[in-house]
Amino acid sequence: MTAAISHLDLLEAESIHIFREAAAQFRKPVLLYSIGKDSTVLLHLARKAFWPARLPFPVLHVDTKWKFREMIAFRDKTVRDFDLDLIVETNEDGIAKNVNPFDHSPSVYTEVMKTVPLKAALDKYAFDAAFGGARRDEEASRAKERVFSFRAEGHRWDPRRQRPEMWRLLNGRLGAGETVRVFPLSNWTERDVWRYILREKLDVVPLYMAAKRPTIIRNGQLLMRDDERMKLKPGEVITERMIRFRTLGCYPLTAAVESDATDLESVVAETLGARTSERQGRLIDHDQAGAMEKKKQEGYF
Amino acid sequence: MTAQPASKTVSKLTPAKPAAAPVAAGVLAAVAPELSGMIRVLTCGSVDDGKSTLIGRLLWDATDLYDDQRETLQKGKKVDGGNPDFSLLMDGLVAEREQGITIDIAWRYFDTATRRFVVIDSPGHEQYTRNMASGASHADVAIMLIDARHGIKRQTRRHAAILDLVGVKRVVLAVNKMDLAEWSEERFRQIETDFRSLSWRFGFWEAIAIPVAAVSGDNVAEGSKRMPWYTGPTLLKHLESLPSRVTDSSGPFRFPVQTVLRDIRNDFRALAGTVSSGTVRVGETLTDALSKRSAKVLRIATMDGDLAEASTGRAVAIQLDTDLDVARGAVMAKPDNKPAIARSLETKLVWLNETAFDPRGAYLLRTATDLIPVSHIEIRALLDLETLASNPSTVCGVNDIALAHIALGRGAAIDTFADAPETGSFMLVDAVTGASIAGGVVTEVSEAVAKASADTFILTRAMLERGLCADLRQSGTASGDGEAEFRRRANEVALILRAAGVAVEIESPPDYSI
Repeated sequence: MTAAISHLDLLEAESIHIFREAAAQFRKPVLLYSIGKDSTVLLHLARKAFWPARLPFPVLHVDTKWKFREMIAFRDKTVRDFDLDLIVETNEDGIAKNVNPFDHSPSVYTEVMKTVPLKAALDKYAFDAAFGGARRDEEASRAKERVFSFRAEGHRWDPRRQRPEMWRLLNGRLGAGETVRVFPLSNWTERDVWRYILREKLDVVPLYMAAKRPTIIRNGQLLMRDDERMKLKPGEVITERMIRFRTLGCYPLTAAVESDATDLESVVAETLGARTSERQGRLIDHDQAGAMEKKKQEGYF
Repeated sequence: MTAQPASKTVSKLTPAKPAAAPVAAGVLAAVAPELSGMIRVLTCGSVDDGKSTLIGRLLWDATDLYDDQRETLQKGKKVDGGNPDFSLLMDGLVAEREQGITIDIAWRYFDTATRRFVVIDSPGHEQYTRNMASGASHADVAIMLIDARHGIKRQTRRHAAILDLVGVKRVVLAVNKMDLAEWSEERFRQIETDFRSLSWRFGFWEAIAIPVAAVSGDNVAEGSKRMPWYTGPTLLKHLESLPSRVTDSSGPFRFPVQTVLRDIRNDFRALAGTVSSGTVRVGETLTDALSKRSAKVLRIATMDGDLAEASTGRAVAIQLDTDLDVARGAVMAKPDNKPAIARSLETKLVWLNETAFDPRGAYLLRTATDLIPVSHIEIRALLDLETLASNPSTVCGVNDIALAHIALGRGAAIDTFADAPETGSFMLVDAVTGASIAGGVVTEVSEAVAKASADTFILTRAMLERGLCADLRQSGTASGDGEAEFRRRANEVALILRAAGVAVEIESPPDYSI
């Protein structure tokens, strides 16, 4: 006797299983919440895994203070709607030294404003496991990532120290000084994330939908000017354009696309009809060859 | 390369369209079809056999690649008469690219019109047996790749043995480089015959051979004009015809409990887990194999509403009509078909770690949701993967496949792999480093309690309750979570005692059937 289950049902069940395994095996997990569409799906699956109980762990947002304002508003509403314990972590030292995405290279900026505060928060609260929304289909070095990804002391990722995973068994026993990143969306693709958001009727940050927004073109990329901290260079003009975003992050580093897709269905149709992979919209990944792998070794998620 | 030439990028922006019209359902269905199923395909073979090229070719022809990926490939170096280097689509880590070999498992995802293909790429060389075994454990079907000129080699036999060990039931032999074998039918038929005589020795449900040329794409996604004598399916067509990664729910019902969910506000308490085999319906009686206590299924709950039944692969929360004191690690089953309460196991395992087996080492056995202290491991033999002969041995190291006897420090609900794969497989864990040392399948379960020798120390529950676990009593005795923590502490104490040279036995929780 067999019963067909759609591929989204299979993926959902697998993710729920991973959430429950991690929550049972680790002493103090945390969910890394970046407000974007993958985080939205991640959070939804976590709620399903522990329903009707509250989430048995807090959610952590590393705020660089350069996120789109609409992202922060969406974050706070989500926290209220789902009764979440939110921890916001910012590198105040980086703010004091005015580390920003304009005057510093993407790699320095990411290190100081994202990687450093993430590690600091994990250490400060002594979290031994952190859920993230990374998917294996995102980038070549992630194609080999484990579901339980072990980090040595100092959050270093060493490809040689990763544990083989077999069948559905997940081994979360930690060695001294080790912590774990847990990736419940490992086997999802960008297509699945969008499909699932539609199927489950999930709210996403309105920036994913097209609207008239103040934009400039810099280095060939279409950027939104979310506040006055973005100074105009000679020749740059602010123009209202119908734009939306395929990925969300720090606004000066997140390129928009021109679009008329104002509702979720049109966005999904347009996104999945698109012929470039999503990371093209993220400026930091083009920084250097093997960029993501290097960032991971340094402790970037 | 932060800045790209303005002209290039801006020209890529989506051209303005007429004011946003609601998208017709048909358009959405075309770009984001609800796929009716999924299949995980393992590819094994060596670099020389053109494995990465074959998979790259499959991705290329199945049209699911993004334009930037195609562009990168077309701009890259050309191989074999002007074709793009398809292998670039599969190779990942920097270290591996530099070495020019694939040492780790890589996962790739692509969709055809009806189904999700998950390609698990694993290395083929003998020194990577462990990588292949772990990759294969996730697969529904395996493509074994060979070079038509060389035919079936010892490596093919090794691969088949590993696939069989970890439970892969469907295999395809892709006979590659037919272009270099003059597209010869005679050559292919000879290999096909060799393959049949090889594969019948294993427990495969299906084993077929397909002649292909990965570089030119013959019989990969498209048929081959150069091999008109071959009337079978192309590789892609064959893979699409296989049953989806569904849920064979014909096995015995097994529900390894992951955690206990509570909602105090609504007096809700349920066992959370994934059905690992079989089907359960509301109203049926379930038994905890270990304590032998039974209760009826009151609800099968999910956030999307209650279900009348749940089959293999479903993640649910089961609420019982009686509050059994069941904790993580328990396996719920039907009263007439329960897993054994294993005290010792006969196993086949693949050694994954660089550190060889140490008879004095501290090991834990991770089963579906339980973690059991191991009291004793005896390596009995190593399996020669080419002859399938077992050669007596007491040692075992990386990449070895061993037959091993494992005595457990307490009873645990375990099946044989043949009866119920998910509750009949395990990882052996190094108690100190936490590393996954070996992965294995259970071939025999013994419930007989080994006679405790006079100097075996029995770690009783009373002893643990009075001090070390005294705090766990505060939340009440019927606390499933308390029991899980109780077991965790018992395991750690047993490990320390064993490291000090004391033979230990952990007392089992009370058997309520008596």
